[in-house]
Amino acid sequence: MDEHLGTGSRWRVAIPLALLTGISLPIAVGYIWIGVSTFSQRTFGLVPVDSQGNVGGLTLDNWSFLWEDPKIWQVTLNTFILAVGLTLGVVLISALAGYALSRISFPGRRPFLATTLILHAFPSVTLLIAIYFVLRWLAQLPLVGRDLPLIGGIGYNTLGGVILVSVGLELPLGIWLMKGFFDNISWDIERAALIDGCSRFRVWWQILMPLIKPGVAALSIFSFISGWNSFLIPYTFITTMEKSTLAAYLRSLLSDTAPVNYSTVAAVGLFQLIPVLLFFFFTQEYLLNIFSGGTKGGT
Amino acid sequence: MMEVRLIQLTKRFGDVTAVDRVDLEVGHGEFVALLGPSGCGKTTTLLMIAGIYAPTGGEIRFDDRVVNRIPPKDRNIGMVFQSYALYPHMTVLENITFPMRLKKVPKEVMLKRAQEVADMMGIGHLMDRRPGQLSGGQQQRVALGRALAKEPDILLFDEPLSNLDARLRLSMRAEIKRLQIELGITSIYVTHDQVEAMTMADRIAVMREGKLQAYETPDDLYDRPKNLFIAGFIGNPPMNFLDVEVVHQGERYLARRPGLEVAVAPERAQKAAGRGTVILGIRPEDVTVGQGPIQGQVYVVEPLGRDDLLDIQVGDIRIHALADPARRYAMGDSVQLAIDPDAVQFFDPRTEQSLLWT
Amino acid sequence: MTTIDERIPSTLPVTARTPWWSNLRRMVAPLLFMSPASLLVLVFFFTPVLILFGISLTNLSSSTGFRNWEWVGLENYRRIFVHPQSVDVFRNTVKYVLFTLALFNVGLAMVLALLTTHIPRRTGFFFRSLWLLPRITPSVVYIMMWKYMAADAPYGILNQHLFGPLGVEPTNWLPAQAWAFVILTNGFVGASFGMIIFTSAIESIPRDYMIAALVDGCNLLQRIRYVILPMLRWPLLFVTTYQTLSLLTSFEYILLLTEGQFNTEVWSLWAYQRALNNYWGNFQWGFGAALAMILVGVGLLMAVVYMRYFQFNQLVQEPKIEAL
Repeated sequence: MDEHLGTGSRWRVAIPLALLTGISLPIAVGYIWIGVSTFSQRTFGLVPVDSQGNVGGLTLDNWSFLWEDPKIWQVTLNTFILAVGLTLGVVLISALAGYALSRISFPGRRPFLATTLILHAFPSVTLLIAIYFVLRWLAQLPLVGRDLPLIGGIGYNTLGGVILVSVGLELPLGIWLMKGFFDNISWDIERAALIDGCSRFRVWWQILMPLIKPGVAALSIFSFISGWNSFLIPYTFITTMEKSTLAAYLRSLLSDTAPVNYSTVAAVGLFQLIPVLLFFFFTQEYLLNIFSGGTKGGT
Repeated sequence: MMEVRLIQLTKRFGDVTAVDRVDLEVGHGEFVALLGPSGCGKTTTLLMIAGIYAPTGGEIRFDDRVVNRIPPKDRNIGMVFQSYALYPHMTVLENITFPMRLKKVPKEVMLKRAQEVADMMGIGHLMDRRPGQLSGGQQQRVALGRALAKEPDILLFDEPLSNLDARLRLSMRAEIKRLQIELGITSIYVTHDQVEAMTMADRIAVMREGKLQAYETPDDLYDRPKNLFIAGFIGNPPMNFLDVEVVHQGERYLARRPGLEVAVAPERAQKAAGRGTVILGIRPEDVTVGQGPIQGQVYVVEPLGRDDLLDIQVGDIRIHALADPARRYAMGDSVQLAIDPDAVQFFDPRTEQSLLWT
Repeated sequence: MTTIDERIPSTLPVTARTPWWSNLRRMVAPLLFMSPASLLVLVFFFTPVLILFGISLTNLSSSTGFRNWEWVGLENYRRIFVHPQSVDVFRNTVKYVLFTLALFNVGLAMVLALLTTHIPRRTGFFFRSLWLLPRITPSVVYIMMWKYMAADAPYGILNQHLFGPLGVEPTNWLPAQAWAFVILTNGFVGASFGMIIFTSAIESIPRDYMIAALVDGCNLLQRIRYVILPMLRWPLLFVTTYQTLSLLTSFEYILLLTEGQFNTEVWSLWAYQRALNNYWGNFQWGFGAALAMILVGVGLLMAVVYMRYFQFNQLVQEPKIEAL
C-alpha cells in the first residue's frame, strides 16, 4: 500500500512513524553505544567518561589490539577464509544441484526435492553432537584429514572441517534458493542453447549462470556474512584459538574471568561488525530477497 | 538439406497424450507449417524434432537416420522461438557466432559468415548491441540470423511472429518466405495463425488434440477440406454449417431443411443424396446477399472494413455472409440470400468426414 | 496422405532401441550435478541422524572414553524421563518458544509489517532494513550490546538513561530479569523474518481490494481487520510453523547471554551443554544425544507436516527439457 490510499491526514503517517521509532529504539541504542564505546575509556550508559567518571575520556587505546595482539590478524584471516570458503562452497554446490533439480528430469528428482525442502525446515543445530563424531572420523582420513595449508584439514579442530560443516548445513537453503532462481529462467533460452550445440553442463555454466547473477550475488553476500559472523560451529569444533575465528575470539574476551573491559571488547566487536555493515549498506535489497527466499510455498 | 520423416510419433506426459501417432513427411527443402489451436501438440512435435523432448513412441528420421536418441546439439538444427530466446548477456555478434563457436568453426570464417547473415537480415549495424537494446523485430532478426549462420540442415520455427505487431509480422512473413526459398533449407513452422500457414507453407499439417487432421497444400486445405474440423478451422470468418437433407428432384439436386431450400451442384450433391441428414458447409464469401431463394433477416452487422460480415437469421439458424459495406445493411432488414451451388461442402454428421474428398 | 484413421486400435511401434550408453548418460549427467550436494547432505544430515540415534543408545561419555562404552538400550531416554531437571527445562522451552513467537516473531513482525507499509515507501524500507540489522550482526557482538544495556550502574544503559531518572533501584538486570532478556534478544532477531514475509504478502494484496474497502468506507483498523489479516492466513501459518521449529532448536543467543543460568536452560541448550560444552569437561555424549534425538524427532515430524501443508506438489513442475 502506499501513500495515495490514505486521505493524506498527517496523523496517518505520524502515528505509525512514532510507534516504529519507539520500538526500534533499542536497536539504534545498541549500535550507538558500540560506536561511542570503542572510542572512550569507559561509558556510563551512552555517555563517554574518563577514569574518574567525568564526561570525556575519548581515546583510541581500545583499538590497540590491532597492533598489540598478534592473534587478531591470524583470527581475522581465519574468519575471512571461513567466509570465502563457505561462500564458494555453498554457491557452487547449490548452483549445481539447484540446476539439476530445477531443469533436468532424472529418476529420483522428486524425492531429492522433497528431501531438500524437509532439510530446509529441519533444524540442523540438533545434529551438532553427531557431527562432532563425523568430524573426528574425517580427521583420520589420510591426506585430507589433517595438515592441509590454510584450512588445516577437513576434520575436527580444523578450519576446513568447520567450512565443510557450515557448507553442509547451509546447503538446503542454498539449493532451494538456486532452484528458485533457475525456475524463473525461460525454457526457450535453454532450449536454444542446447540446439545451438551446448551440453547441459555448458548451458549451466555459460548461459544460465550469467542469467541468474543477481541470485548468485545475493546468495554469495548472504553466505559471506553468515560465514563471517558464524559463532556456534567454530566455537564448538575448534579448540585452539589460533585456528579459530573472530566471533570465538570475542567470546573468549567476554568470558574472561577478570572483569570485562567493555570498551576494548566493543572495539573488537566493531572490528568484526564493520565489513558486515558495509556489505549490508550496499546490498540490503539483495539481502531482503534472500531472507524472504525459499518461502514461496507459504506465501 | 534434409528430409524429415515422423513415423507414428507419440508423446505422452503422464496420462496426457500430447502427440498421438503422427505420420509426416517433409521433403528436401520443403516448407511445412504445423497448424492448430493451442494445446494441439504442434509445439511438442517440433520440440521432439529438435531433440528437446524424447518421443514416447514412434520414430523421427532425418533422411534415413533414426535420430530419436540423438541429443539436440548433434542434430544440426536451427531454431527460432516466439520469445526470441536470445542470450541477454551476449552482444548480437556473440549471439550469432555462439553456435559456430561451439562447432569450432575457424574464427575468420565465423566472423565473415556472421557479417553476411547479419547484412542479409538488415542488422549488420547492430552487432555490438545487446538484445535488450533492440526492438522486437530486430531481436527476431538476430534470432533468425543465429539460426541461419550455423548453416543448419533443418530450420524449425516456433510461432516466431506471434510477439510482433501486425505490420512487422506481415513484412517478416514475406522475408522468411523469401529466405527459405532462396536458401532451400527444409523448414518446419509451427503456428496457430492460419494466414501465416496459408501464405508461407508449401504444405500444411493441421493438428488437433495430438492427432494429425490433414496434411495438404494450402489450396487443398481451403477448397477441399477432409473433415468438419478442417472446414471449420481454416478460413476466417469460418464456414457456415447447416443440417440438410439432399434430394434428387428431376435434373436438380436440392439441399433442404425447414424454411430453406437451395439448389446445389449435381457432382457434389450426388455424393450426399439419399443419406438422410448431412452437414452442408458453405463459406461466408460464397453466400451472396441480395437476390436469392433464401429469406432472412439481418441479426447483426459487423463491419470488417473491406466487407460487412452479416449475421442473418434464417428460420431457426443463423448464416454468416459477407456483403458490400456500400449496401448499408442494418439490423432487422429483410434480405434474400443465394448460395454458390459449386462451393458447397458435405460432411457425414456421424464420422465428421467429408463426403466429397476422401 | 496421412490422416490417421482413429478406429485403428492403438498399437504403438516399439520405441527405437536404446543403446546402453545413452541410458548411462541419462544417469551420469544429473549425477555429476547432484553428487557434491548429495555427498554433503549424506555426511552432514543423514549420517549424523543415524549416529545420533546410535549414540543415544549408549553410555558414551568422556569418562567411558571411546573404548569402554556399552550399549544401554533406552536407558538414556528413561533417565531423561525421570531426571529432576527435565520438567524445568521442558517448561522453560515451552515458555521461551511461546513468548518469543507470540510477542515477537509473529506479533511484532506483524506490527512492523503493518506499520512500515502504511508510511512512505522509503521510510518503510529504512525501518525494515534497521530491523534486519540484529539478524546480520555477529551474535557475539549483538549479545554484548544487550549485556551492556542490562549492566549494573553506572555502566548499564537502562540504569543510566531509563531507570535511574525514574528512581528505580539500579541493579544488573540480566540476572534480575533473565527471561525478559532471553525473549528480547531472540525476539529482536526473530521479528525480521516474519516482517519480511508479511510485508511482501501485504504488498501483493491487489489494490482493488483496498480501494473497494475505502469506497465502502472502511477506516484503517477495519481495513486491517477485514481485508489485510484474512489475506495473510497462509503467511501467518507459515511463519508460525517455521519459526516454532527454529526457536525450538536454537540456543545460540541464550548460550551467549546466560549460558542457561538463572533458570533459562532450554532443551536444545541442555543437550548441547551435556554433550559438547560444559565447565567440567565431562561430556555425556550418550545422554546429550538422547536429548537431541527428541528434538530431531519433533523437527522431522514438523518438517514433514509443514511440507505437506505448503503443497510441495505445486512447487515442483516437471522440467520442460528432456534432452541431456
